Amino acid sequence: MRSPFQKLNLHEISVLLRGEPEPIAAWTGQWKAQRLALHVVTIVVGAGLYGAAMGWWRDPQQALYVAIKFPLIILLTTIGNGLLNAMLAPLLGLNVPLRQSFQAILVSFAITATILGAFSPLIAFLVWNAPPMSLEAGSGTTYSIIKLVHVAVITFAGTMGNTRLFQLLVRLGGNRLAARRVLLAWLAGNLFLGSQLSWILRPFIGSPSLPVQFFRTTALHGNFYENVFQSLWQVFQFN
Amino acid sequence: MNDQNPVPPQSSPQIPPVIPATGPRRPGDDPSERVAIPHVIGAIEAILRQPRRLMFQLRQPGAGRLIAGMVFVSVVCALIYGVVVGTFTGGTQLWAAPVKIAVGMMISALICLPSLYIFTCLSGSQARLVEVGGLLAGLLMLMTILLIGFAPVAWIFSQSTDSPVWMGALHLIFWFIATIFGLRFLETGFSHSNARSLAGFHTWVVIFLLVAIQMTTALRPILGKADTFLPKEKQFFLAHWGDCIDGKNGEQNRGHGD
Repeated sequence: MRSPFQKLNLHEISVLLRGEPEPIAAWTGQWKAQRLALHVVTIVVGAGLYGAAMGWWRDPQQALYVAIKFPLIILLTTIGNGLLNAMLAPLLGLNVPLRQSFQAILVSFAITATILGAFSPLIAFLVWNAPPMSLEAGSGTTYSIIKLVHVAVITFAGTMGNTRLFQLLVRLGGNRLAARRVLLAWLAGNLFLGSQLSWILRPFIGSPSLPVQFFRTTALHGNFYENVFQSLWQVFQFN
Repeated sequence: MNDQNPVPPQSSPQIPPVIPATGPRRPGDDPSERVAIPHVIGAIEAILRQPRRLMFQLRQPGAGRLIAGMVFVSVVCALIYGVVVGTFTGGTQLWAAPVKIAVGMMISALICLPSLYIFTCLSGSQARLVEVGGLLAGLLMLMTILLIGFAPVAWIFSQSTDSPVWMGALHLIFWFIATIFGLRFLETGFSHSNARSLAGFHTWVVIFLLVAIQMTTALRPILGKADTFLPKEKQFFLAHWGDCIDGKNGEQNRGHGD
């Protein structure tokens, strides 16, 4: 009897990271539950570990919450935009069916999550070396450094995931222009929904002045873009 | 799926297919584009993946059934998206918003169909009224199925904001993106009908956009609550938007306004 982890061919993760277009294109063409599970597990573990490292600075409980929320955002974004992305692909010149577009996006997120997971020990080390989160640290240099490191790591992981996705789309469609159009459309949609989901599921790093919570009590009050707009409005009013 | 519609000799040759050596390919040049579309699911699949197949089928005798199917899909998809729009306010808007969106969309299309046909003829196109109506039905179908794709995102936002102005702007953005794809389909169909110029078509696009946007004001409130099903006061959409942004159209929450 094989264990569930033996059934998941973990060797395939290295193929994903190398971005080998032939096998990945072939995988996305098949609807294989085992492979789908591998990609989902990769996202849950990779993004979960990174989330745990992110939340650890505030509190171990916050680490647990963010370990759940981080993969949840990725999976909900993939599912929420699945139908739209499948419709946009043929309209923008890449004739791939729904399951293939869905799996292509899942693959790119799995790559991103793997990279995030690999960086999670580094983040944990950074947080371990940082002074405990306090009102002073929260407003000081430490908080800024930790935030900037997160931005850098997530940007790097996201860029790599999307670079691999672009290579895959070129392979599937044989046309760089169409692949670029589809990638940009998918990116725009995923960023749009992903930002709002992140807003609803906040906090991630946490704040010393606020309690550790899975959701803020104001989770469903306002949206991400409203907040950005209000911030810009305040800046202009001050100036 | 393997049966083929009879091909009129004047519009396209019999087998073997003739693919012109130069110039753009015409709908039906590829044999796969001549395969009949048996049901509405096939029509949805075709408009996303093989729009030229749909354009070819709209020129065939008996295209009325296909057009009726496309209109049916458009109405169903508009109703589904309307329910998502209605979840922002809830209550009576759960049925009022879908009805207003579906009816408003169909009335806008009916109002604009004659002018589209006139512009088509003035451009030198050989398209018949049925074909023009079919292309317009294609626009509506593509637009509404794309709105279904946007529906999960719209729902997430409708649950997390109280501002009808934000939700109105978001729905307008989604509608605008979906309409761009729909108009692209219509333009491709238009350009394949021997039209000498696209100037008439572009003029019609402006008219269609204005009619559709004004319809949202004429049927207000689609978001928010009101005492009556339809507005008591007539307003141009720019004035209405201005009132909404200034907060004059009721309070800026999900209970009032647009």
